[in-house]
Amino acid sequence: MVRNLGWHPVASWTWDAQDETCGICRMAFDGCCPDCKFPGDDCPLIWGACNHAFHLHCILKWVNSQTPQPHCPMCRREWQFKG
Amino acid sequence: MLDLSRVQKELVDCNRDKSSGVSIDLVGDQLSHLAGTISGPIGTPYEGGVFRIDIRLPDGYPFEPPKMQFVTKVWHPNISSQNGAICLDILKDQWSPALTLKTALLSLQALLSAPEPDDPQDAVVAQQYLRDYPTFLGTARYWTEAFARRVSIGTEEKVQKLVEMGFPEALVRTTLENAGGDENMALEKLCSG
Repeated sequence: MVRNLGWHPVASWTWDAQDETCGICRMAFDGCCPDCKFPGDDCPLIWGACNHAFHLHCILKWVNSQTPQPHCPMCRREWQFKG
Repeated sequence: MLDLSRVQKELVDCNRDKSSGVSIDLVGDQLSHLAGTISGPIGTPYEGGVFRIDIRLPDGYPFEPPKMQFVTKVWHPNISSQNGAICLDILKDQWSPALTLKTALLSLQALLSAPEPDDPQDAVVAQQYLRDYPTFLGTARYWTEAFARRVSIGTEEKVQKLVEMGFPEALVRTTLENAGGDENMALEKLCSG
């Protein structure tokens, strides 16, 4: 007879992006942007209509600094958040 | 705030790649002030020259472009012959945070290969380029010789070191020459035969 005294679930996660690093801050997507301490939901990824992904915080800084029309840093298409 | 971790990464990445013909060094102890080096492209009047570029990173980098200026005097339609100021779109309104110091330096190297005299920084040079191309070539070549020649100080010491390792002197000299004076690159080539 075997009794379970307790159990410790372990899980791993990764962002499902084509690249491994953010083209803006050059940090790993599975890490976080330079302003954050914890990866994951605190520092999420966001995709553009052109399918390029960035840390949300990184692309927001870029988009907010560009007037009138921001472009994707990778392909220079007009930046639009993927709906 | 300047993204220091990104700048550090860029320095390591750029200098790891010895074959690109561009490199970046620290000037002082501040990551916001750097010195770039590009070698003159082969087949241009800048061939054989090494050009130093002053790099200043604004606080907003990489969201703002790096400020780059030639320190080495150069005769080129898009570079001021007076103060080294550069006319290149990616250093102004066409900058993107996905570009890096390395790609910017490579773009400068490409600019040396392909001048744009219709969008000049130095009107005198551009006029000469358009009206009297042979004279332009001569002047550009002369400036490369006069201002951008590789520093040859220390070459003898490098030769001696490599000769002491057992390589024939003539071979050492040509290999060092081909490696642009880079001792490590020359050693690698000598070792690989």
